Amino acid sequence: MTAGTVDERVADTGRLRRMLIRPELGAVVGAIVVFAFFASQSATFRSVDGVANWLDPASTLGIMAVAVALLMIGGEFNLSAGVLTGTTGLILVTLATRFGWNVWAAMLAGLAVALLVGFLNGLIVVRTRLPSFIVTLGTFLMLQGINLGVTKALTGTVQVSGLRRADGFESARAVLADSVTIGGTGFRVAILWWIAVTVLATWVLMRTRAGNWIFAVGGDDRAARAVGVPAERTKILLFMTTAGAAWLVGSILALRFTSVQANAGLGQEFIYIIAAVIGGCLLTGGYGSAVGAAIGAVIFGMADKGIVFAGWDADWFKFFLGAMLLLATLANRLVRRYAEEVRH
Amino acid sequence: MSEDAPLLVMRGIVKEFPGVRALDGVDLEVRAGEVHCLLGQNGAGKSTLIKILAGAQLPDKGTITLGGAQVRAANPTAAIRLGISTIYQELDLVDGLSAADNIFLGHEKASLGFTRRAESNRAARELLDRLGHGEIRPGGEVGRLSPAGKQVVSMARALSHDARLIIMDEPSAALSHDEVGNLFRIIRELTAQGVAVVYISHRLEEIREIGDRVTVLKDGRTAAVGLPAKDTPTSQIVSLMTGRNVEYVFPPRRTEPPGAEVLKVTDLVVPGVVSGVSFSVRAGEIVGLAGLVGSGRSEIVEAIYGARRASGRILLDGHAVRPGSTSRAVRLGMGLAPEERKAQALLLDQSVARNITLGGLERFSRFGWIDRRRELAEARTLAETLDIRPGDVRRPIKTLSGGNQQKAVLARWLVNGRKLLLLDEPTRGVDVGARAELYAVIRRLADEGIGVLLVSSEVPEVLGLADRVLVIREGAVVHEAAARDLDEHQVLDLVMATSTGGFR
Repeated sequence: MTAGTVDERVADTGRLRRMLIRPELGAVVGAIVVFAFFASQSATFRSVDGVANWLDPASTLGIMAVAVALLMIGGEFNLSAGVLTGTTGLILVTLATRFGWNVWAAMLAGLAVALLVGFLNGLIVVRTRLPSFIVTLGTFLMLQGINLGVTKALTGTVQVSGLRRADGFESARAVLADSVTIGGTGFRVAILWWIAVTVLATWVLMRTRAGNWIFAVGGDDRAARAVGVPAERTKILLFMTTAGAAWLVGSILALRFTSVQANAGLGQEFIYIIAAVIGGCLLTGGYGSAVGAAIGAVIFGMADKGIVFAGWDADWFKFFLGAMLLLATLANRLVRRYAEEVRH
Repeated sequence: MSEDAPLLVMRGIVKEFPGVRALDGVDLEVRAGEVHCLLGQNGAGKSTLIKILAGAQLPDKGTITLGGAQVRAANPTAAIRLGISTIYQELDLVDGLSAADNIFLGHEKASLGFTRRAESNRAARELLDRLGHGEIRPGGEVGRLSPAGKQVVSMARALSHDARLIIMDEPSAALSHDEVGNLFRIIRELTAQGVAVVYISHRLEEIREIGDRVTVLKDGRTAAVGLPAKDTPTSQIVSLMTGRNVEYVFPPRRTEPPGAEVLKVTDLVVPGVVSGVSFSVRAGEIVGLAGLVGSGRSEIVEAIYGARRASGRILLDGHAVRPGSTSRAVRLGMGLAPEERKAQALLLDQSVARNITLGGLERFSRFGWIDRRRELAEARTLAETLDIRPGDVRRPIKTLSGGNQQKAVLARWLVNGRKLLLLDEPTRGVDVGARAELYAVIRRLADEGIGVLLVSSEVPEVLGLADRVLVIREGAVVHEAAARDLDEHQVLDLVMATSTGGFR
């Protein structure tokens, strides 16, 4: 090294620049563009009723996307999260209808199973050092098999139903699956849960030790361990967090529809990851935000319902989603590159 | 604890890695409030010893006593709890976190799990100010700091633990002259408070200035314990570092004069690293570049190979090498055995044969099909010529020892005749016993008329193997001589002296 290293230190980037290089910028811009687009196509879309309508799919997806985003910032994936929403829903309905459990007790049982699955996912990942992609792909397929096998063995069909008649249904529904009327429009309670989860996750990420550890184990696992971050515990808890979120969403949907298909949640796992990535999470970990993932879910909800409101063929939804993913990630990358250039 | 009882005592530390005994019974004694310098050539075992102290590795044998009690640092957290902080040479900061978050990572200022951000920012501010770097914002992302800035954050992290012992692995390497002065001021403050510092540096004059006592390591053993840092003669230190138990066996040099000029480098400049280097390599000649890590020697090799942007003129057999085009360098007849052999030169899961023929597959292929039989036959011949063992070339190359892997890398360049071979640390990770064979292979290649440019941190290797030696320091050639006219002391003197005036 030559003497007299150039004195390049933290560049004071200025408030505006610092705001611009937030991870969720791409998602915010994307959400505005998508909203403006559909709002111009359909008057219903921009009405209060319309907003309540597209916030509904955004909410259940958003709860999962936020949890998955935390896990991705911690450097891991969870492909079993989607199917797990089905598993917890099936447990709830089966215990309540076939075995006469109180709905609340059945939900607790679902939570216990979900947390156990999350714990095992995490334990296998940190102990074997196998990529979480593979480990959770394994649990994903196993859960899918259990969901179908057990449901068929118990009912002879591929769904369980009749939750409405179970004890405690009304109170559970009121808490998780009802609507609240605000200014004459009914909003799903799930939206409140989604907001609560996003606020909590943001708080954890930005204001707690655990948040620091999540960024650290995802950003540089070796460095984190070297300074004494409990990396294994952090990762296991992150897997359990996604499992807990899957239980919440599974219960909400089961209470809403009072029946669950054996293949519920299947195919959702990638949607969660997509929302998190649109929200600024890097696949490599160590970077991202919970708010971004929540906004990613909003984009998804707007596209899901917006296509219907605009009177188009809903078959085009996936195309739209794919284009959105590519554009938002490109925007995020530009932002990151810009942020890195600021340093020089 | 009484005043003169040592704070840290390490006795008979042994650490083995597959094929290498990195530490072979090392002793170390550090007193509270002293700066204890650890000296030794590359590969002497300094890094391994530090890793054991820091809890990153467990010793196979030996005892560690800290403050009178025997301890066992099974992991980094345990070492930190014991009061041992380490500032590594390769910085281990998390780029995405702020400076304050990095400083307090793992021991955050928190109540009930919530970080007290204002408080940790203030504490970070104090630490950075104390280090004389008030301009680093505690809230700024560490990824945007310069290497020197990161070094300061690392240092602040070590200070943030109430450490009894701080290990500093070449802390001055990334710092400018003023910043080194600052570092020394901090070290003096720490030792005045009774903290012990283990200081590792290649710069002898720094050791004279800041050190109290010196322990010299050599070939994984302690060559001297607790010499006074200020007045032990340089010659004694250097001979402790160089006197060896293991004698290298070098092949005889060729007697006839070398052939025509193969490589001619004129005014090579790599901005910030290499400043105007000129030299040449002739056919059949081995030219050695001696210098410390960071002296610019690897950059010179990379520039010649076209892997690094540089200005100046590089001619291979009269043809200009285009900077930034390694494929042109290869077409002109260059071959490189890079320093990071496993990462940059080998397909670890592939067979030895495939690794050898990789550079010249077009010779065995017709219409896109590879003639396996001819490929194998050629690989076998080369493996036999270079005595690669085991001789079955269908084995995956990762099952071979370091020395035999390196032979396979050399064999690759023989598949389609090279004019110049660039060897960057060819014996890194190669057993001492296997080195002699590798030296013989390199000499034989030269005897066949190939020009060889050799880079090595091990001075005896350069002196023993090369015909001519260029000593590189701070990006410039400071001395050039026939290898037989130099000795290890002279070269070590030359590479370790600094531009600020040497240490005599």
